[in-house]
Formats: sequence, C-alpha cells, structure tokens
Amino acid sequence: MASAVQTHESVAAADAHAAHAHIDHDTNTGISNTKLGMWLFLASECLLFGGLITTYLLYKHPLEGPTPKQIFDIPFTSTSSFVLLMSSLTMVLAVSAIERGDHQRLRIWLGATALLGATFISGQIYEFTAFVREGLGFTTSRFSSAFYTLTGFHGVHVTVGIIMLVSLVLLSLRGKLPEHRSETVEIIGLYWHFVDVVWIFIFAVVYLIP
Amino acid sequence: MAIIEAPPTEQLALTGTVESDYKPAGVFTRPKSGGTGWKSWLTTVDHKKIGIMYGATALVFLLIGGFEAILIRVQLWSPRGTLLSANAYNQVFTMHGTTMVFLVVMPIGAAFANYLMPLQIGARDVAYPRINAYSYWMFLFGGLLLNSSWLLGGGADGGWFNYAPNNGVLYSPSHGIDFWNMGLFITGIASLAGAVNLIVTVLNMRAPGMSLMRMPVFTWMTLVTQFLLLFAIPVLTVAQVLLMMDRLFDANFFNVAKGANPLLWEHLFWIFGHPEVYLMILPAFGLVSDMLPVFSRKPIFGYPFIVFSGVAIGFMGWGVWAHHMFVSGIGPISVTAFSLTTMFIAVPTGVKILNWTATMWGGKLRFTTPMLFSIGLVTMFTIGGLSGVTHSVAPADTQQTDTYYIVAHFHYVLFGGAFFGFIGGFYFYWPKVFGYMLNEKLGKYNFWLMLLGFNLTFAPMHILGLQGMSRRIYTYDAGYGFDLWNKVATIGAFILASSVFLFIFNIFYSRAKAKSLPPVGPDPWDARTIEWMIPSPVPEYNFDPIPTVTRVDDFWYRKYGETKDGKLVRIAATEDVVQQRSDGKHIHLPSPSYWPLVAAFGMPIIGYGLIFNLWLCLIGGIIVVGGLFGWALEPPDDPDAAHADHDPVAHGSDDGSAAEGDTVGVTEKEVEPVG
Amino acid sequence: MALTSHDPIPTSELDGAVRDYSRDKVYVLTALFLGLVTVVEILTYAFPDFPAWSGNLVIAVLMILMAVKFFTVVYIFMHLRFDKPLLSWVFWSGLVLAACVYMVMLCTFRIFWPGQHG
Repeated sequence: MASAVQTHESVAAADAHAAHAHIDHDTNTGISNTKLGMWLFLASECLLFGGLITTYLLYKHPLEGPTPKQIFDIPFTSTSSFVLLMSSLTMVLAVSAIERGDHQRLRIWLGATALLGATFISGQIYEFTAFVREGLGFTTSRFSSAFYTLTGFHGVHVTVGIIMLVSLVLLSLRGKLPEHRSETVEIIGLYWHFVDVVWIFIFAVVYLIP
Repeated sequence: MAIIEAPPTEQLALTGTVESDYKPAGVFTRPKSGGTGWKSWLTTVDHKKIGIMYGATALVFLLIGGFEAILIRVQLWSPRGTLLSANAYNQVFTMHGTTMVFLVVMPIGAAFANYLMPLQIGARDVAYPRINAYSYWMFLFGGLLLNSSWLLGGGADGGWFNYAPNNGVLYSPSHGIDFWNMGLFITGIASLAGAVNLIVTVLNMRAPGMSLMRMPVFTWMTLVTQFLLLFAIPVLTVAQVLLMMDRLFDANFFNVAKGANPLLWEHLFWIFGHPEVYLMILPAFGLVSDMLPVFSRKPIFGYPFIVFSGVAIGFMGWGVWAHHMFVSGIGPISVTAFSLTTMFIAVPTGVKILNWTATMWGGKLRFTTPMLFSIGLVTMFTIGGLSGVTHSVAPADTQQTDTYYIVAHFHYVLFGGAFFGFIGGFYFYWPKVFGYMLNEKLGKYNFWLMLLGFNLTFAPMHILGLQGMSRRIYTYDAGYGFDLWNKVATIGAFILASSVFLFIFNIFYSRAKAKSLPPVGPDPWDARTIEWMIPSPVPEYNFDPIPTVTRVDDFWYRKYGETKDGKLVRIAATEDVVQQRSDGKHIHLPSPSYWPLVAAFGMPIIGYGLIFNLWLCLIGGIIVVGGLFGWALEPPDDPDAAHADHDPVAHGSDDGSAAEGDTVGVTEKEVEPVG
Repeated sequence: MALTSHDPIPTSELDGAVRDYSRDKVYVLTALFLGLVTVVEILTYAFPDFPAWSGNLVIAVLMILMAVKFFTVVYIFMHLRFDKPLLSWVFWSGLVLAACVYMVMLCTFRIFWPGQHG
C-alpha cells in the first residue's frame, strides 16, 4: 500500500500517508488487524456455505414437485453469473483506482460494482418468482427448501455487500475516503470477491452438474 | 492498530491533513473514558472490564444452571419422584445442559481469555475493543433471551443437542426450542466476533520479543480455542438455520415425510459439538499449565509438547464427531473410522497429563488453593478421559449410549476438568484482578468440599449407567436397584452446591477482610509470566512501559537465575523488577462507546420477532442497523477526550487507521457498515 | 508454517506487504480468462454429447473448471498470491477443513444409504 505511487499529493500529505502506512502495519505479522480479521472471517464463512451446500447436495433429488433439471433456466442463470463475475473485475479496478489516488474512477468502479451486484440480485428475485409460479414453493420439497435457503443466504450476502459499496461511494463523495484509507476499499473488496467465488461454486455444483 | 502511542513527529506531519472537526454522529454524547460509575461499565471497551463482566454474568448463570441441576437431583432422589412432571423435567435438563455449556463454561473461558490474554502478551487491549464489548453484550442478551423462555411458555425440551426430528414442531410444540435457537444464534455471533478479535490480538499485538513460542500456555490454548470457535460456530449456525426454517417457516430439512434425513442435524450438531467440548476444556488446560509451574517452582515440563499437543487436540477434534452417533445407524465403516480417530485423540491428551505430572515431579510444591484445584483437574480429568476411551470402543459404547455412564463421563471432564481449572484460575488471578487475595483457608475447605461433593455426585453415575439407568428419564421404579446410588448422587449434589456457595461467600468475606490487610502487590504468588509484573489491580493502560520479552516465563527470569549446576538463585528483588503504577496520561486508550450496546440490543428483539411477530424484526433490525451506522461513523478514539500531553490533532491521526477496524467489524457481522 | 514463525517481522519490510504488480492490465486479462472458462462451462450444458465431457466425465470437467475460476479469483483478485503467506494459511485452513468434514459427512450418508440420496 505504501508502495503505491502518490503523484497527486503534497509532500505533507505523503508524509501523512507514510505515517499511516506505518501505523497500519505495525503488527507482529505485518498484516493489518483489519485485513487479518477479514480473512479469518472469510475462512469461517467457508464452513457456513459448506454446510448449506452439503445440505443441498444431500437433498437435491426431491420426492415430489419439480426437479432441478425441470426448473433451472441455465441460460438465464449463466447470464447473471457472468454479471456477478464481472463485478469482481470492477471491484479490483476500484481498489486499483484508490491506490493511485484516482477518486473519480474509484467512485465510478464502486458504483459499477454495486450496479452489477444489484442486477444479479434482481435476477435472483426474478428467478425465485418464476420458480414459485412454476410450482416450486419454499415448502414444496426437500429440494426446494435446500435450494432457496442456500441461494437466499448467498443473496443476503450480496445485498450486504451492495450496501457496503454504496456506503463507500457516499463516504468518498463526502471526501472521507482518502488514499491512506484505501485498505477499507480493499477489505470490502475481499468480502465482495468471496461472495463471488461462493457463487462460482454454487453455479457449477448446483446449476450445471446434472 | 487501534491503540497506539503516536510519537510527536507524526503528530506534526499530520497537521492539516486530518479531519479534527468530528461531530458525534448520533443521539448520544460520547461517554468519557476513565469513569467509574455503572455507566462506565455499560460503555466500556476495556478488555479487563469486559472480562470481569463475562465472569460475573457466567457466575449468575451458574447459579441458574446449578439450581436446575438440584431440581433434577431432587426429582431422582427416590423412585417415582413427584417434584417435576415429565414435561418439566425435559425442560429442566435441557436448560441445565444448555446453560452450563453455552452460558457458564464457554463465557468463563471467554472471561479469562479477555482479561488475561492481552496481559500475557503485553498488549494494551484487544485488536477491536468495541467489537469486544459487542461480543459481551450479545452473549448477555442471548443468554437472557434463552432464559426468558421460562416466563414465555416453557424452556426447550429436546436435550442440549436437540436431536431431529424430536426438535420439530410436531414433537415439541412449545416455543422452547425456538428460544433455544434464537438465544444460541445470538451467543454464536458473540463467539464468532470474539474469535476473530482474539486471534488477531494474539497474532498481531504481541509485545516486542514475544514470539509465538514464548507465549504463556494459556495464551496458546486461547489461540487454539478461538480457532475452534471460528470454524465450529458456523456449522452450528447452519444447523440452527435449517431448524429455524423448519420450525418457523415449514421447510423440509428434517421432515421425514418429504424424504429428509434427521441424521443431517446430528452430523451438523456434532461437527460443531465435538470441537465445542475441546474448546470448553482447553482454556482450563491452559490455566493449569500456567499454575502448576508457579507452585512447583519449575518451568513447565516440555513446553513445546504441551503447546503442540494442544494444537493437535484442536486439530484432531474435527475428526471424531461421529463417535457421538455410534448407535444412530451410520454404518460399520463410519463407526470403525471414528472409533479409531477417537482412540488416537487420547494420545495428545495423555501427553498433557504426562507433562503436568512431570512438571510437579521433583518440584518444591506449595499446596495453595489454586494448586489443589490444578491437581484436582489433572486427577479428575484423567478419570473422565479414561471413561472417554471406553466410549471409543464402539461395542462398549453401544451399551453405554444414553445411560448415566455418559453423564458421569462428561461431568468428569467438564466439571472435574474445565470447572476445577476455572475455580483454580479464579483463586490464582483474583489478587491480580481485584487487588485482594481470596482467603486461603476457606479456599482449601472450598476445594475439599467440592472434590467430595463432585465425586459423590458423579462417581455413582458410572455404576447407575452400567446398571442400565437411562439418562433423561424423569423417574424410575423401585426395585430396579437404582435407589441407593441416586440417593448418594443427590447428597453429593447438595454438597457440591454448598461448595459453590462457599466460593461466593469467600469472595465477599475476603473483600471485607482485605481492608485491614496490606495490599497484595503485583506478584503475590512468586509467579512466572509477565502479567504478574504490573500492579494489582491492573491499571487501565496495562503496561507502562511495554516490556521486551526474551524467553518463556520472562518475568521469572527477571527475578531468578540459574547457577552452572542448575540451582535456582535470586538475582533481583521482586520490587525492583515489577512496574510501578504511573498516571498513564501519555498512553492513548480507545474511548468508550454506547454503540456496541445499541447494536447488540436490537438482536434479541429480532429474535423475539421471529418467534412471535415479524414486525418486531423490523424494529430490531432498525436498531441494529442504526447502531452499526452510528458505530461506523464514530471514530474509535474520541477527539474531545482530554489527555494531558495530547493535542486534538494527534487524535485525529488515529482515526484514519483505526476506523478501518470498524469496517471489518461490521462486515464480520454481515450487516451494513459505513467505511 | 507461517503461524509458528518465531520472530516478528521487522517494520522495514512491512511497507511492501502488497508487492507492486502491474495492476489493471492483469485484472482485465484475468477477467477475460474467467469469462472464457465460464463460456466452456456453459458449453457443457449446451452440448452435453461433446466427447470431451460426455457421460459422467462432465462432473469432473465442471469441478476442474470451477476450481480454476475459484482460485483465479482468490489468488489474483483477492491478491492472495501477492500477500503475506499467513493469509493463505488462514483461508486454506478454513477451506480444507470445510471440504474435509463435509465430504466425510456426505460419505457417511452415501455409504450407508445407497440409492436414497444418490
């Protein structure tokens, strides 16, 4: 972080930057508390999603009601998966922008990420309503309960991510997100990418594998 | 890091670049640091106060759980007992187990971890002080919500592990299990946030020279415990989410009619549940590993072995869960595999027992109260461990499952193990925490009474179990041959209860007596680790200055050296190596905050809302979100807080770096933060 | 293992915690790569009889493609590749633990009750 080049800053601000970088990393491991905490949390989330995915795998063949093969709309889900995948690109571009001190681009990329995330969520809502219309209610079968709980949990994670991204944009607009706090963006980015990789897993295991 | 002592040069450099015009973002004026009234406890972010609150709350829940235990024992005093109905009995033993596990043993572990671990590594506070406060309040509210079920239609009645499908609405129509679910959700979030917090603290905030292999054993065991929590709690959360969906929204996770498999619950519960039993015992192991060397005047025997056997227990604890399910029909291959792994896990535990024994061997033993409790742990836990090995033999376990033999086993490891260690820890650390010693004479009575009561209560249960008495059966008929040992156990339970009251009496008695005694000083036990070199009770800032650590048991070797032939010689008087109390004005501490309390307060409202009326969820949700936004917008350090030689600008400098701590804190809880 | 490294890392080395790498170009190329892999994934659905993934082979192919995407995001976008090894250890420990316990759990179901969940 400190090694990121700051061409737009005054000398005093550069000193401040160095001082902050020093404070951030003045830890035994050389990793800031925040980043280490986020990775620990994400490691813990592996167990959470792992449990839900396992439950789904156990229950994916219903005794009654529509089966996954009948109900899934793969072209539609592929599109929304692609949208979420690309939101990871805009997210890293946002991190890269704030590390260069480019606040305009930071806001654009953060906004784009939030927008792509919102598109994904809208797709999920559309998908759920379509499924319910086709007779797959939450209580229909063991498959439906497991499917809605797993994808719903993921959707809640995406929604929380969107709210964090929007909050970042607002903070940046108010000038409360200077370069030396670029790690905040980076760490929310970690969360966002994690939610994306969980979906990569879900897309393959839940939707594509017959 | 949230807590720093910014050197003057940085303060100058930062002038003009920071926002020092911070306005409190909410309805509250910021509480002032350094207060002492009840308000200071509500808003504190000090790891020591939070540790004390954990301990005190756990002791209150201990009385509740203990009262439930006494009800059970009175009901079983004679055949056809009439004190409790079958239904009430189900609730009482379920709540007894749940309370003791989640609201007594785990929080006492958290109390010691919070209070001691930062002191043992030479830190000012934990990594995220406000999340620490949030953890405590979540634990408290979760515990209260769980116990409020007694007033709102009855407690959970499915046993502490609430097996499916018995936990479904069909078999348990009251709201008891919903309360159980919501209460443990909330304490689960508390544990998870605490785990992240404490792991980061251990890894990142050690004093200079305090490498991992120089840390006191208790700190090591805290690290292992918190990793277990970090990975085990989400598994319980998954199980609970499924159960909640089933009970409240008619899902089909445990609905056999729709092809669900109740074994899913049992697997998920025990994948969580087995690491859980290790995370209850390991803190006590850590305490004992720190106490035995002090009272043997010898270093711990085989420090790396005791550390890595702890790590090994934590690791292997993940591969044994199905030994709780040998009779549930998981198949011969699974049974064989889990039988083997369970036998193997006895090895690292045996290593620890050997190390403790070898630590005492040839030492100059002092039989103080903490030492007695430590030896109590070593012996009682060994008995429990041996009966545990008998469970790993699947054919034998088939006979023992769901009998009192199991009850005897887990009380020997959890009461005789964890609880003896904790009570010993209380006696050992009381002078450090409160500045006065607990009375030694009463303490020794306390120990012998507890040992007697404990063995009278639980030893006969081995016999009862082998005779065939089932656990969780509210009564038995005369002529089964159960009468005598049940009577003995009930008498034992009352002796045990009196020993707990003696402990509480000792607290107040010693406090009254302490006024006429000289102050205890930093190092009343001639101890070994660095938390004993600071004044008692510990000043708010912990260390001044932060010590540089050169080896295991650093403080001991500031006092003692060794001659060539290994003889111990004193090289410095204790008074010369301990730290003096300073005014601490130059040390910058995190400021207290209302927001953790507010954010935590919304959670039980959401819990009640899910059970009774979904509109309540909205109110709770607004409180939580509002609390988190207020939290996120509030800098960790109060720019207005007056410190003698700090100008306001310098405080601003802390905001930028430390505020990031909040973002993660908030994301950890999966709720909306602001950067 | 990084967890047991004895000495704290000197402060002078900390500033480069995230080593410099030519950012945006790598990111865009990575995203293109991820897009391509996704296209292959979707092709397995569109043309199920293609010999490279016919029959049960498709499960293996999809799992490999999924793993490639998964670790590309984790190592490039979450820059685990460029960060301190301790973070990799933390994440891997959670991931491997989850994979192990849940795989074993599924095995106990399948071994004993073949057919019912298969």
